[in-house]
Amino acid sequence: MRYTLPARAILTVAVLPICLAFSQTASSPAPQELTVRGDIPAPLVLKADDLARMPRETAIVPDQDGTKVTYEGVPLREILQRAGVPLGKDLRGKTLASYILAKAHDGYQVVFSLGEMDAAFGNESILVADKRDGKPLFGYQGPFRLVCPNDKAGARSVRMLETLELVRLQK
Amino acid sequence: MRRLRSFRTAALLLFACVLVRNAALNAQAPVEVYDWHLPKGFPKPRLPADNPMTPAKVELGRHLFYDSRLSVNSKASCATCHKQELAFTDGHPLGIGATGEKHPRGAMGLVNVAYSATLTWNNPGMKELEQQALVPMYGEHPVELGLREGDGLLGRLNSDPKYRELFERAFPESADRITVANVTKAIACFERSIISARSPWDRYHYERDESAISDAAKRGEILFFSQPLSCFRCHGGFNFSSATVSDGHEPQGSDFHNTGLYNMPGETSYPAPNVGIFEFTRNPKDVGKFKAPTLRNIALTAPYMHDGSIATLEDVIEHYAAGGRTVRSGAYAGVGRDNPNKDPLVGGSQLSDQDRSDLVEFLKSLTDRAVLRDSRFANPW
Repeated sequence: MRYTLPARAILTVAVLPICLAFSQTASSPAPQELTVRGDIPAPLVLKADDLARMPRETAIVPDQDGTKVTYEGVPLREILQRAGVPLGKDLRGKTLASYILAKAHDGYQVVFSLGEMDAAFGNESILVADKRDGKPLFGYQGPFRLVCPNDKAGARSVRMLETLELVRLQK
Repeated sequence: MRRLRSFRTAALLLFACVLVRNAALNAQAPVEVYDWHLPKGFPKPRLPADNPMTPAKVELGRHLFYDSRLSVNSKASCATCHKQELAFTDGHPLGIGATGEKHPRGAMGLVNVAYSATLTWNNPGMKELEQQALVPMYGEHPVELGLREGDGLLGRLNSDPKYRELFERAFPESADRITVANVTKAIACFERSIISARSPWDRYHYERDESAISDAAKRGEILFFSQPLSCFRCHGGFNFSSATVSDGHEPQGSDFHNTGLYNMPGETSYPAPNVGIFEFTRNPKDVGKFKAPTLRNIALTAPYMHDGSIATLEDVIEHYAAGGRTVRSGAYAGVGRDNPNKDPLVGGSQLSDQDRSDLVEFLKSLTDRAVLRDSRFANPW
């Protein structure tokens, strides 16, 4: 019984930062940079200006309500190649057991295998978008988001994209 | 013989004159095209093939919508439960009919109803406004407008020169214009015309006007669309409702959700007669599933939920943050959080006071004041 109060205090001290962390990150805008990290030779931190100088593509996709939306940005494959992620002739053997973990500012996470993105395999045209209908993404969508035009559901089109992380299952 | 030729010539001339006159009349009365004035982000609504929108039908429908002659005792009209100043709701927990009978559920808003995939709190089969209008007009359980077949409604309308003119304009091709079918078509056209797209959030989101909403509303927006809260999963899209349909686009996901509002012991966990779509499907897993309505103008449509049992937006947020409502005593006592049919998305969330306040500010930013005073939707009488 005499340990009740300290135990509560410890619990409060332990839980409070979690609650505060949630409330601080969940309602704040995402940072203005995209980090590419993980088991790669050249981690990157990209800002909107960096993306503007890279090869750009557009994707026209239906919005949740059926309206057509034009997203503009840089192919995910291009960004990963700049960070040294093994694609193309380097994607073979154990590296095929690797995936990209895409994390959003609010904690949402999805994965893409390297195989589904590589031109010799799935060749999926996934876009790291920074513009929607010609205007920079902002608020709950931006400044960066993924657009997966060939996904039937929109759940992997991560909004408020914050990090791309290479995870190798076999080394 | 000469006389016969003259007669033939005269007949041909007369026939030609009739053709020219008809062509001229047709040229004078082109089919009016309805302009939706839809802003960016808003698709064209889906319409039934037999009831295209025209300005004349919308105008006739507006007169009918506000006319208490459409009730058994001339004490109520559609507008009694759908007031423009309250985003076409009535401010009551439960609707009240012309005879004073209470409806078991609250009046739903009509703003952007043109995009509603289903039209009532719990009837998955009610998808057309023309069909739905018959329920308040002629329904007996409960009595709303209290009309009955053969009670002289059409005669009352026909005796008014204004209506004869409005019906003639709205349905020029019909010989028998003043019919119940045309009444419901016109009311449906007027209801579909009530589009709300000019809220501060719309200016912020579509026009990138940073000053349109407060910083608190911006934080609330991020929370609303965040993975931990996932409010957008049932209230997403341009109309803030997953139960949204438009021209060439079908709704995604389910329209109806059990949010853990009740969990009573017994056969149905929700108080009868409000048992959700179970009333129609008879599937026990559907008990307590009600429509996720649009959140546009939600700050004006209190009280909330299908039975008006939550008074304020703050309390609604508390309900979802707790992952369901606990009713501590009385006939409805139970822990809604544990309702077996509860949607897994209603899992509860840790929210600070500021988070709650920010969410309310975001919801308030969805209020379109222009629609509340737009003369196109106002009482014409």
